[in-house]
Amino acid sequence: MTPGEVSSTDGQKKQVEVRINGKKYPADEGEIILGIAVREKIAIPHLCYEPSLVPYGACRLCMVEVVKRGKRELTTSCTLQAAEGLEVVTDTPEIVKHRSILFELYLAEAPKSDVIKAMAARYGVTKTRFLKKLDTTDSLGNKCILCGLCVRACNEIMGAGAIGFVNRGPYTVVNTPYFEPTKDCYGCGACVKVCPTNAVEMEDAGGMRIMKSWSETKVPLLRCDCCGKYYAPKGLAISILARITPSLKEETAALCPECRGKRIAREEILAGSGGAGNHG
Amino acid sequence: MKITSAADLETVRQAGLQKLQPVKPRIAVGLATCGIAVGGSRVYERLREIIKRDGLDIILTKTGCIGYCKEEPLVNITIPNKPLVILHKVTEADAEEIIKLVQKGKVPADKALCRVPSWDHVTGCILEYGKGFTKIPLYGKVPFFKGQQKVILRDAGLINPEDIDEYIAVGGYKAAIKALTGKDSETVIKEVEKSGLRGRGGAGFPTGLKWRITRDAKAEKKYIICNADEGDPGAYMNRNEMESDPHMLIEGMIIGAYAMGAPDGLIYIRAEYPLAIKRLKLAIGQAREYGLLGNNIFGTNFSFDIGIATGAGAFVCGESTALVASIEGRTGRPHPRPPRLTDIGGGLFGYPTDLNNVETWCNVPVIIINGSDWYARIGSKDNTGTKVFSLVGKVDRVGLVEVPLGTTLNTIVSDIGNGGANNKKVKAVQTGGPSGGCIPFRLFDTPMDFENLNKAGSIMGSGGIVVMDEDTDMVDIARFFINFATGESCGKCIPCREGLKHSLLLLNRILAKKGTKKDIETLALLSDTIVATSLCGLGQTAPNPVLTTLAYFREEYDALVKP
Repeated sequence: MTPGEVSSTDGQKKQVEVRINGKKYPADEGEIILGIAVREKIAIPHLCYEPSLVPYGACRLCMVEVVKRGKRELTTSCTLQAAEGLEVVTDTPEIVKHRSILFELYLAEAPKSDVIKAMAARYGVTKTRFLKKLDTTDSLGNKCILCGLCVRACNEIMGAGAIGFVNRGPYTVVNTPYFEPTKDCYGCGACVKVCPTNAVEMEDAGGMRIMKSWSETKVPLLRCDCCGKYYAPKGLAISILARITPSLKEETAALCPECRGKRIAREEILAGSGGAGNHG
Repeated sequence: MKITSAADLETVRQAGLQKLQPVKPRIAVGLATCGIAVGGSRVYERLREIIKRDGLDIILTKTGCIGYCKEEPLVNITIPNKPLVILHKVTEADAEEIIKLVQKGKVPADKALCRVPSWDHVTGCILEYGKGFTKIPLYGKVPFFKGQQKVILRDAGLINPEDIDEYIAVGGYKAAIKALTGKDSETVIKEVEKSGLRGRGGAGFPTGLKWRITRDAKAEKKYIICNADEGDPGAYMNRNEMESDPHMLIEGMIIGAYAMGAPDGLIYIRAEYPLAIKRLKLAIGQAREYGLLGNNIFGTNFSFDIGIATGAGAFVCGESTALVASIEGRTGRPHPRPPRLTDIGGGLFGYPTDLNNVETWCNVPVIIINGSDWYARIGSKDNTGTKVFSLVGKVDRVGLVEVPLGTTLNTIVSDIGNGGANNKKVKAVQTGGPSGGCIPFRLFDTPMDFENLNKAGSIMGSGGIVVMDEDTDMVDIARFFINFATGESCGKCIPCREGLKHSLLLLNRILAKKGTKKDIETLALLSDTIVATSLCGLGQTAPNPVLTTLAYFREEYDALVKP
């Protein structure tokens, strides 16, 4: 499933045609315009969009111009749904003007982010007129742009709710409640994976996974019986194991994926060569 | 007792009239938050002590606020068959004298603001008080009151807001019984549509249409909500409406709930309004006792009740989607619309929800009782009815002013408000709170209606008018509002979160005389982007104070910067 396809499995969606920059594209009715753009390789910058999460509309970079009731207006393409005859333009002089200011704001908000620098440069913005935010105590290394992807993944996908927004307005940061290590964190690392600016840091050391950005929250890891390597967060593994068949559970619980693979392969070979008798 | 018929209502009304116009003298102290703040409760306590001490046959009670903040504390004296007299700037020291005179059927002439021989409560009920006290000016001759038309504030400062009987005495709940027992949902909605009523929260969306959309949404359940999260600096009309006449709001909501088929209503009120919360709770309790809320209202098969949800101190929770999030127990952050509240999945707990401002609901009973034609004759084209404005800042007569929509700023500020305080010249007004803009004196012929205010670069908002005089530094005013908006931004989208912060930094630099012409240009550009790209109404309107002061008072910016 390509990103942006809201639901390609049911096959019941009405087909519509939308126009992006004058060119016609087929789409499912209700499909997110930014998703179509990603699929069709039309460049629209974006930071807070993730097809598996509820549309959020916070980064404001994906603004497009849409004609509604004869009036042209700016709207975010990550919240705009495809409808028959919908017409959007992605690069009017007005959009370019506002987008450039937004990039300047991002450069000031996350001055240490190379991702932001590169993205802004692609749209011709290399300098910011605004005062750069440099906080040496920032656990996200002055790279966070508050797109909320980590918070939403933790809540909406993992159901953990370990992190959230703290404070409001320009003082908003992402962290655990009261900036204290939290027991709610599975240590799954979804936040690290989903962060568009690589701001979230995590490290495995001595049987512990340390969520460095989240108040040094420590999550114990599970050790492989065979090779002795730490391979998965314990709590998460236990909750997943509780949901799988008992026979599978036993070997999965004890071995890391690598050792498990080796063991399965060995058993297969043994079975194919007529039994376990000739194995030294 | 449960009121189930017009005859029941009339019985209660007669009892209420006995309380409003008793056969003995009645003293009512203005005890809304504003009156209490300037010593009203001390006056009340002192009067109570004297009456108790001397064992006098005088009724002492509370009333809300008639809106003339400058003259508070206000005390109403009702002596049988004499005009009601409003005393002003009353202190504890005046209490003995007041009681002494009242016993003789007199009032202290030097303390009298005006007399009210009769009062039209706009619900078909005109209360005759009596004749006499001719040396005291008539209510209608007092310059502050002269240009006003009281429709929403018809009972404020005259009835006891803590007694449902007094509200019923002046025609209260007549509209509710008329709608619930004599009209179907469609007729009520049509009536509201024809009245031309537009949302008083600031955006001016046609109320009848919103009701229709909510009613027509197909869902097993619907909600109606009253937005009482009034938070604009300098705006307090909703507070007074709830503190002085809470039943007017409840009656409006009953009628709306009936029209939209919603069994549950909520009042979302900011926690900073403890007295309004207390009076609303009291009023809801009294309405339940009379069967005006609860099951089978007026013996019909319509049931409806109201609950109260309090905010936690965030301005942004006045925005519809953030408000719903706050009620549901989530962080008060807006989400993109659609889905709107009226959509399935968009409202409270996912159900279609109608959200109206306090004052919008308060308009409903008079529309039903007097008809849409009557209502539509008030105000101007496409802007019908009256609007309560809070006239504050450097104006001589501070207070709540109710005038027909379309009244010019000149009438409000110069005539009713008597211009600048301490004889200073008025320079500008800020309308619509932090989302509004500054309008310079030369544009004071601007009619106060939704469209003309937009044309001037400002908005109606909830109705705050902050007056600035010749001494006011307009750049500093812009900074004040940007500082407010920065602190109240929820932090979700970057133009509002970071853009407003940098606007504030730029304004600080300019005001510290360290800015350059380039900074002014950057500020203007940044403001445009914040307006165009912010997610919700807070960000989209927050730069207005900067944009309007830049448009009308550019020279004040230029004087602060190096060339």
